[in-house]
Amino acid sequence: MSRANEGFGYAPEEDAPIPYMHRIREYYLALGYRSPYRWAHYTEVPFQPMDKPLAESRVALITTAALYQPGKGDQGPGAPYNAAAKFYTVYSGDGAVDHDVRISHLGIDRVHTTAEDSNTWFPLPQLRRCGAAGLIGEMAPRFHGLPTNRSHRTTIEIDCPELLARCQADRVDAAILVAN
Amino acid sequence: MCHQTVSLAARHLEQNGIITVVMGCAKDIVEYCGVPRFLFSDFPLGNAAGRPRDPQSQRFTLELALRLLGAAPAPRTTVQSPLRWSDDPSWKLDYSNIERLPPDEIRWRRQEFDRQKEIAREVRDQIASP
Repeated sequence: MSRANEGFGYAPEEDAPIPYMHRIREYYLALGYRSPYRWAHYTEVPFQPMDKPLAESRVALITTAALYQPGKGDQGPGAPYNAAAKFYTVYSGDGAVDHDVRISHLGIDRVHTTAEDSNTWFPLPQLRRCGAAGLIGEMAPRFHGLPTNRSHRTTIEIDCPELLARCQADRVDAAILVAN
Repeated sequence: MCHQTVSLAARHLEQNGIITVVMGCAKDIVEYCGVPRFLFSDFPLGNAAGRPRDPQSQRFTLELALRLLGAAPAPRTTVQSPLRWSDDPSWKLDYSNIERLPPDEIRWRRQEFDRQKEIAREVRDQIASP
């Protein structure tokens, strides 16, 4: 910070959202991969105004976490990246009960967090509580697991329509999608 | 990748009449894709729903996301959670920061990336031809 701007209570320059796209591009270039990843990018964004109160809406949880798979290696807490735990099709689970879901197959920050508490990435118990407290009309009967695939085509043409079909079957009004 | 996948799914659901909110920690990836509503937590990846072992922060974060469903006036509405991961922001300098990795570590990571990619390919192949 220049001396002229001292004394205004500004935050440190690095205390801003991490520029992930830049970091990841430089990272893979340094590892030797010459073709930068092409990120999904749109100028038009769909928008559906809420047409009924939240307290009357049915809300579903969408996660990229994977159900724990015995025999598929270390899945945490504190696990290194584990591609063997990946999944490649949409799955669903009963929203009324708890589930053991893990994120060892995803690129989380393994330096500063350990994935020790699934409530930080899978707020199903919190959503259930919101349903019981009347903050939402009700929780959808199922939550849904969404695969993370490097192929945009697979995500857009296969996984997204499958996810939509399951949400429509459950007559969902709104969805919370938690990224990792 | 995960933030991108979730963003694409939010767009698809919204286009088909289901209103959505994304909870995430990678602001640039979600906003570059473009989503209707986004609750951004400036936390390390893996904590989009609150701080570990902190039910109060988890409760606050989910309720903020729910409020955003009805409160957003237009697409691309981003709300940043007021919660802080740490008073010391230096954690933000570490993730995939090539300037902080020694050459040996970079070589090892290249080998490890290729190894994990091969494992992922085998998992995919097993699913395709059980």
